[in-house]
Amino acid sequence: MATYAGGSLHRLSLGSDRGSASESDVEDRRESRLHRARRRFVGTSLLGTACMVAFLGSLCLVLGEEFYQHWVSILALLTLFVLLPLAIAGSVHWAGARQGIADLGEVGKLTRDQIQAAAAGRNALSSELHASESYIGVMYQQIGDSLNQSEQEVLQVIGGLGALNENAADQRQHIAESMANGRDVTRATEERVNGNKEVIAAIETQLQEQNDELRNSFERIESMALEVGALQPLIKVITTIAQQTSLLALNAEIEAARAGSAGRGFAVVAGEVRKLSVATTKAAADIAGKINTTTARVQKEMTDAHAALANYQSGDELSHLIAGLTEMQNEFCRNSNMLLGVVGELDTNYAESVKQLSQALGHIQFQDVMRQRMEHVQAALVDMQAHLQLLGEKPNDPTWDGHLERTFKDILATHLARYRMERQTATHLASTGGGSAKVGSRPDIELF
Amino acid sequence: MTQRVLVVDDSPTMVMSLKTALKMNGFDVDTAGNGQEALSKLKAGAKPNLILTDINMPLMGGMELIGKVRAMPEFRFVPILTLTTEGDSAKRDEGKRMGATGWLVKPVSGDDLVRVIRKVLPGA
Repeated sequence: MATYAGGSLHRLSLGSDRGSASESDVEDRRESRLHRARRRFVGTSLLGTACMVAFLGSLCLVLGEEFYQHWVSILALLTLFVLLPLAIAGSVHWAGARQGIADLGEVGKLTRDQIQAAAAGRNALSSELHASESYIGVMYQQIGDSLNQSEQEVLQVIGGLGALNENAADQRQHIAESMANGRDVTRATEERVNGNKEVIAAIETQLQEQNDELRNSFERIESMALEVGALQPLIKVITTIAQQTSLLALNAEIEAARAGSAGRGFAVVAGEVRKLSVATTKAAADIAGKINTTTARVQKEMTDAHAALANYQSGDELSHLIAGLTEMQNEFCRNSNMLLGVVGELDTNYAESVKQLSQALGHIQFQDVMRQRMEHVQAALVDMQAHLQLLGEKPNDPTWDGHLERTFKDILATHLARYRMERQTATHLASTGGGSAKVGSRPDIELF
Repeated sequence: MTQRVLVVDDSPTMVMSLKTALKMNGFDVDTAGNGQEALSKLKAGAKPNLILTDINMPLMGGMELIGKVRAMPEFRFVPILTLTTEGDSAKRDEGKRMGATGWLVKPVSGDDLVRVIRKVLPGA
């Protein structure tokens, strides 16, 4: 379309050049013919004057005679001085007129071609100006469609950014909730571990006390066993005494028997004493046996208890258990803190991403700025279209005197007054060479 | 407490970008496509803590909206920020006379917008 428009203009321009050359040529020829006609007119006038002078002179000479008698002479003079010059001038002018008519015809012919060419050019120009309506209409629609398309795309981008942010916010919320739960679990675990540690410490203390008490008991039992064992010699003394008593009682019985009836009562006592010593010996043997049994059992129990006490040195295991629990608790706290750190970092990253998304959304406002500028361009196209239509009609208006009520310059001035943005004004003035506008004279953000 | 902003603009991209940016920064957002719609919402009981309005809109522009909002006793002290492509001093002065709290020329970065809103909305 643009190529076509350029070609049209080019052709019109060439046509105009040719027209200018022909016009100059015709003008020269016309001047030449006018010059010749002027010479003929002057020559004819001089000839006519000379003839009139000659005629009048001759007439004066003749008037001295009788007028009616010389009518033949007068006729001859008229013929000589009037008709002959008229015939000569007529023939000369007839030839000139013929040449002039021929020239005029030629000139008329050239002018008609030129007028036809000019009319054709004017019609073509008018047609082109009218055709600009659809051209500008297409441009207008293209701009409008581009704006709509960019608006739709921008809306998609904003929607995507919004969805992205909502997802990030949801994830952040989810993680924060998880971490709050984790923090509660950590706190509960800490409390439980601390409780367990206290319980284990109490158990350890109690076991230690029991252990100490057991040791004391063992020591007492051991002491008692030793004391019981120390009775063994005493039992032997008792047994020896009982045996000696039995021997003495036996001797007493023998002596009582020897004494006869006088020793009968003593024999009874001696018998009883011997029975007592036998019972004492038996009792001492029983006691010795029981002491031995008890001592052996105490010894065995003491041996087992010592072994158990030796084993119980693993009360340290409780300390190990507490240490293990403490370490586990510390590890848990470390991991929790690490996770909390990660969440904190996530928060920071999220805040940064919100900042960047906000910035991006700010830049998207350029779409609206661009839309408004493009709408101005569209309005300018509409004005241009109306003006071109007017220009297309004017050449066909026979009453048009070449004056335009509104020119492109006026339209531009109207647009300059309509701008809302300082940048629009600045661009306009820079383009038209109308000076520079003051941009940023007041801040973009102003609180009253 | 979450602060509520009423965004008034006839450009869908502006409305959506402002809504998204403000929501990201923790504001509740209500929207209107022109001054008339905004006024209807206010009359219907909307209670924004701040109004952010464009100036050139169909049906009812920002200037007229500011004037009508300032005439409503319950919104006499609600901050009104204009967000417009108009940078003209005379327009700004007119906005100030009508009762605007501040004048922002598009485009404004999200950071700056939130900073200004927090400045005129203590506690936001």
